[in-house]
Amino acid sequence: MDAWFVREVLAHEPALMRFLHRNWRDHDEVSDLRQEIYVRVYEAAARQLPDSPKSFLFATARNLLADRVRRQRIVSITAVGDLEQLNVLEDELDPDRWFSGREALARLARALDRLPDRCREVVWLRRVEDLPQKEIARRLGISEKTVEKHIAKGSRLMADHFHGGTGTGTPRNDRQGLRARIRKPT
Amino acid sequence: MTYDHRQIERDAAQWLARRDAGGWGDRQRAALASWLDESTAHRVSFLRLEATWNETARLQTLATGALQPQPPARGSWQDSPYFAGLAGDAPAIAPTTVRRNKAGRSHRTRRWPLLAAVAASLLAIAVIMGGLAWQDATHVDRGEWQTTLGAQRIVQLADGSTATLGSNSQLRAALSRRERDLYLPRGEAFFDVAHDAARPFIVHADAFRVIAVGTRFDVRHEEGGLRVVVTHGLVRLQSAQDPHLAATELPAGSVALVRDGTVSVRQVPLDEAREFLTWRDGYVAFHGTPLAEAVAEFNRYNPHQIVIADPSLDALRVGGNFRLDNSAGFVRLMQQIFPVRAESRNGNIVLSRRSGRHRDH
Repeated sequence: MDAWFVREVLAHEPALMRFLHRNWRDHDEVSDLRQEIYVRVYEAAARQLPDSPKSFLFATARNLLADRVRRQRIVSITAVGDLEQLNVLEDELDPDRWFSGREALARLARALDRLPDRCREVVWLRRVEDLPQKEIARRLGISEKTVEKHIAKGSRLMADHFHGGTGTGTPRNDRQGLRARIRKPT
Repeated sequence: MTYDHRQIERDAAQWLARRDAGGWGDRQRAALASWLDESTAHRVSFLRLEATWNETARLQTLATGALQPQPPARGSWQDSPYFAGLAGDAPAIAPTTVRRNKAGRSHRTRRWPLLAAVAASLLAIAVIMGGLAWQDATHVDRGEWQTTLGAQRIVQLADGSTATLGSNSQLRAALSRRERDLYLPRGEAFFDVAHDAARPFIVHADAFRVIAVGTRFDVRHEEGGLRVVVTHGLVRLQSAQDPHLAATELPAGSVALVRDGTVSVRQVPLDEAREFLTWRDGYVAFHGTPLAEAVAEFNRYNPHQIVIADPSLDALRVGGNFRLDNSAGFVRLMQQIFPVRAESRNGNIVLSRRSGRHRDH
């Protein structure tokens, strides 16, 4: 089940993040929404595996956004009409390609480059040079606890950068455009 | 229900980092398991971090041959020959290394020549030291090991590498100061190679050489050729007969098949690549695997061969985890879920189609 989730659901995270960023105005909430969607998908799949995991993931995402919109009652009603018509771009990269050798590697390298200096160094020594945490602490002259903290932080940032891959542009720059888009003119 | 997903993610990351520190016993493992069971929000958060963390092992591809354990300058990746010709977003990889000259054309700063110079000087030192150790250089560690049908054996090699031999396999080793040569005339072996950039680790199988520096990979003979699975680092697959043929580079997550001298490569997620290696733990994982392939897997391990008498059964799909030494259990299960009949003949198990309700005329 866990392996299924990683293979069939998490592999679509880049597409899911683009979808959420396009369709949700408050970008600070996007990662919470994503996790909420994962919880729903995982729990539903534990009862019965969906035939098409990707369609199911995006259907769940649409439902959740629609729920939120209804509950908030702040967003204008036209936004709901908008949400129900949301289409997932079908030309998104499929997961096989996404995970394929050089591209995955390029994205990983890019994700690593975005880590803060010390964190980047620790992750490199651990994952690339395969040094144990204890040895890294000795070499860098820091405590093992600190190494562990860098690893924890690195794992979170790498996951965001690798899967979420919002590129180098900060989401905030796009905000104006997105807000304009969700407020549908009629 | 609403959770504090950010806090959960921090907790998940802490679990991951603590487990990564090693030295875990049953108590810690149980504690993690119960934290994961506490809520689906915990589990999906942890799975997400873990999946990416596992993928980062691929970065070792970029480290092959690097002599200093230090990350390269930010953005220097794209100058690596490995990325030559990779289409797309180079500026996104490293906006800081793109500079403009007077003509306004952008060019990248090259850091590899510097690295190469450092590497060359270190190599020069290595050569001098190699000269001093000349007497040692002629020394070769040799060994030979085999396994019988159904057996498995872990071999510690003199350089610190390990080889795990699968069923009915044979391995010879000749480790010198310059090169580590392994010969796999039959069967299958998984190699966990001790890092030593100065001494390539070469597995000779059929007409191919599988070359590694510090990595983990599996080589096996199959009907009609070879299969190579890489789970760590980078491996080069090269034809021994035709040295002019370009080597195929296999990063972690590659499954390469050699048939009639032709190489085809498939990239899979690392978790999936590791499933090819479950034989070391005595089981095999099938996902929609054709029955013929599944049967071939069991036959590698058991003296009682399973024979498919009716070719129309070949295409049935099998899923699940099975113990390799329990082919009888596998056959029983096949009879329960498929229209299959099993008979024992001359010590072998013969599978044929069960006629079921419709009797033959």
